[in-house]
Amino acid sequence: MQESNQSGKASRRAFLKGIMGTAAVSTAALSLDAQARIHAPHELETLKDYEEHWGFCDMCYWRCGLKVRTRDGKAFKIDGNPEHPLNRGVVCGKGNSGIQVAFAPNRLKQPMERTGARGDNQWRPMPWDEALDKVAHELTKVKEKYGPQALVMIGHGTWEKPYHRLAHAFGTPNTTSPVFGLCCGPRGVANTLIAGKNLTGNETIDLENCKYFLMMGRNITESLHNGETLGWIDGVANGAKVVYADPRYTITASKADEWLSIRPLTDHAFLLALIHVVIKGGLYDKQFVAEYVTGLDELAAKVEQYTPEWQEAITTIPADTVRRIALEMAQKAPAVFVYSPRRLTRTSNDLGTGMSISILNSLFGVWDRKGGIFTPQTIKVPEIDLPEFPHAHVSREEGHGDFDFAHNPFAVDVEGKIQRADGAGVPGRWPLANPQYGLTNEMWKAMAEQDPYPLKALLTAGGNGFTNSTDYDTVRKALLNMDFYVAADVSPNEMNSYADIILPEASYLERYDDLQIGGAREGFIALREPAMQPLHDTKGSWDICKALSQRLGLEAYFPHDSVADMLDDRLKKAGYSLAELKEKGIIKKPADDAINFPREMGGKSVFPTPSGKIELIPSQLQALGMADAIEWAEQPRPKDGEFHFTFGRVGFHTHARTQDNIWLNYFMPENLLWIHPDAAAKLGISDGETVEVKDPKGRGGKIAAKVTPRIRPDTVFTVHGFGHWDTRMTTAVGKGLSDSLLASDTREKHIGSISMGMNMVTVTKV
Amino acid sequence: MVAKYVMLADTTRCINCKACEVACRAEWDTPLGYSRDWVKEVEYVNAKGLPEVQLFPGRCQHCDDPPCVEVCPSGASWKREDGIVLVDHAICSGCELCVPACPYDARWLNPVTNTISKCTFCQPRIDKGLQPACVETCVGRALIFGDANDPNSEVSQLLKAKEWQTLVTDEVNIGPNHYYYTAGKAIPDAVMPKLNERHLSGTLMENIVNPLGTLGIGGMMAVFLGAGIKKLIDRRQDVSNKEGSHEQH
Repeated sequence: MQESNQSGKASRRAFLKGIMGTAAVSTAALSLDAQARIHAPHELETLKDYEEHWGFCDMCYWRCGLKVRTRDGKAFKIDGNPEHPLNRGVVCGKGNSGIQVAFAPNRLKQPMERTGARGDNQWRPMPWDEALDKVAHELTKVKEKYGPQALVMIGHGTWEKPYHRLAHAFGTPNTTSPVFGLCCGPRGVANTLIAGKNLTGNETIDLENCKYFLMMGRNITESLHNGETLGWIDGVANGAKVVYADPRYTITASKADEWLSIRPLTDHAFLLALIHVVIKGGLYDKQFVAEYVTGLDELAAKVEQYTPEWQEAITTIPADTVRRIALEMAQKAPAVFVYSPRRLTRTSNDLGTGMSISILNSLFGVWDRKGGIFTPQTIKVPEIDLPEFPHAHVSREEGHGDFDFAHNPFAVDVEGKIQRADGAGVPGRWPLANPQYGLTNEMWKAMAEQDPYPLKALLTAGGNGFTNSTDYDTVRKALLNMDFYVAADVSPNEMNSYADIILPEASYLERYDDLQIGGAREGFIALREPAMQPLHDTKGSWDICKALSQRLGLEAYFPHDSVADMLDDRLKKAGYSLAELKEKGIIKKPADDAINFPREMGGKSVFPTPSGKIELIPSQLQALGMADAIEWAEQPRPKDGEFHFTFGRVGFHTHARTQDNIWLNYFMPENLLWIHPDAAAKLGISDGETVEVKDPKGRGGKIAAKVTPRIRPDTVFTVHGFGHWDTRMTTAVGKGLSDSLLASDTREKHIGSISMGMNMVTVTKV
Repeated sequence: MVAKYVMLADTTRCINCKACEVACRAEWDTPLGYSRDWVKEVEYVNAKGLPEVQLFPGRCQHCDDPPCVEVCPSGASWKREDGIVLVDHAICSGCELCVPACPYDARWLNPVTNTISKCTFCQPRIDKGLQPACVETCVGRALIFGDANDPNSEVSQLLKAKEWQTLVTDEVNIGPNHYYYTAGKAIPDAVMPKLNERHLSGTLMENIVNPLGTLGIGGMMAVFLGAGIKKLIDRRQDVSNKEGSHEQH
């Protein structure tokens, strides 16, 4: 054994000497022990040297802090930055697979011009100068013919910001990001109306100290964001009770104490009954309500009808369960949290659902309390000096790279200015929708119908309108309507296959980007710097937009020679420098209980609503004539032979954009249709058999069935993001069925965001 | 005291996000289609008729009594004093006898190197004082690695604080050093080690060929020695015969 522990490198010669030595010893020394068979020091691997570079992740929108390891000028491993409050050093499977975004063989590698029909994927490579000249020329043509508002800019990701700025400088208000209209808009609006505070994006919940989580379909372990998930698991390990409401038994359900197999689209009814019990039973935080809350009596009158028995028929959750949960939560309050789903775009009244969640949390007095919702710290980093945007009636809130409603939540009309085509923030249309991010669903419709005015040019930065929206025909029609479409992207996808010009972006491992300015219990500024030189003839979005701005006469909006100069400029205005930020990749303001939990520490909470209080019946809704949003609205139910159609995520895919990543595709090459054994037996479907799923419009397709008790008998489910048809997506193409074909494209009635859960489907054995 | 490295997996904190698997792949450049570690998702219906899911992250169990080492004909498979089972790639012939010998399916032939690959507990990393890649990236902090012989280590504290189980059966009990916490739930059969039928050939190697080889080498040496002595005697005989015959002539 003695040799085995020597860590020195054994040379081949020593090894051979060892063999000869072995041969020289007598036969008696040969034992059955393999180590004795080779009586020589074994060779031990040693770790090769590497360099580390700072970054933050681009694989989802939580944006964990990273250290990227490189060797010989190439990135090979992504680690977490332990100093970063959003992930505390851990990186998920998606984050670890970022390496394969950069090294994917099918990346967009040089600028290209379309030579065939839109979507046919026939391309001609072209030099950057030619591509940028052409983009500037075509955009100018559209501007001259239809006005600047004819340009639509749709972004998605950490690198959309310069494109938004370029579009605003160009003079269009029509810039959108799917994050609002297609995802978390309603919950953000609900919290802003009731508490004056946003509660979305990077959640500000004291997860570790929470004692009771009521998870309303928040599949926190599979729609996962590292720091949030880790905090939640810590909370559960610290003894928090978890009640998980979802038609499907997810991995989150497997961590819960109780799974409520609620009927799809009925969360609102369940929550209204909870509010009913909490108010009727006096289970709310009376001191908090007295000091900080308005509208309790009015709300009490409204929820009088919503009894636990009433909801039972709708949700299929027993009335007693509602009563018990209300009592249990009241006993643990304020260290409790009613957890909203992140994508709250499902029903015709998501605002009502979001408000019910916000109301319950407020009644339990969780704001600014340990185990509840904390007030984040922020570091103010001024934006660079820019000229005013000349035409757009709303400008993007430049100081925030993140989803943020805190400023200019509801836009108002300004006389003589062009209104947004999607109606977001426009009086008389969708005044509650956030004009900073817009209603991407409505924008696609506006482009398809050319209503309310011509929209003739499109600029996209990432994203995939086909798979994040719900009606291929609308998106296709919109794209075919464009005089000119330029797509900036890292990887090929269905949407950018319709572009006239493709501008290939450097991946997030190959470039600088703007600062990440975040608010957790610690405030922070984080850095993304290149870990390696671009592998192909690609550019970062700031460089692309600067080059375009010069060609469009808008160079005043991109005044710095390089992104690094811009970062240094911003940081110096805040009293720091790029050199300082490069030390740890992050600059932090320490957590402070007095700021994070003022009421816990004897201070006061601040609720920036019109009344300065929590408004259970929001005054802004009343002013808009929408105070009825809290009322239950009937939702569709499956007829005999139909199923609710639901979709969701797994922990190792983000939306529809990682299925082509070879490392992630390995874990799940295609999606399956989950169906309950009873329903499957009725239809003669066995596990693994191919079935056909169809919606009432006849859309749908074939998919293999997973027969499992992990779903309600009246509901089917599939994992989002599969069913790609772009042949450039060599790994994902032709695998699985797209849920975007089956989700509904109806609208939430107050906000205008999409309602994806309203479709019923039929399932037949093929 | 020499270290004894162990891995703990708190299955209540595992979420099957695959961070461990991808981190391992990136760290050690394993070819696609093969993985040194895994997460097994087991779903079943419990006694109350409700669905349940358990998650088991796994890898080489670095057993006290590793059959992979026993069956290895070249001695490439070996166990370090701190308990880590390793493969010496300079010696490994890629014969694959160790693959079915492992009841945890932790070994596979790397088609690029043509040698056997498996989890090493990230030996080059831990020799530098780092954590294994899977542990460092684990989102739920479900994986905990360390020296069980150090009473102050996190693993020692946790081993004392909670009820841990190992993947052993009546048939397979070879001292795995990978521990699982399930909050009292029984470990499903699907996760338990199985004696691989193909292990028969390995057992053959272990119990017959290797001993025979040992005997064989001894025998060979004895034969050579005997042959040498015989040759010497024969030679002497020959010479003496010749001398004799000479004398006769």
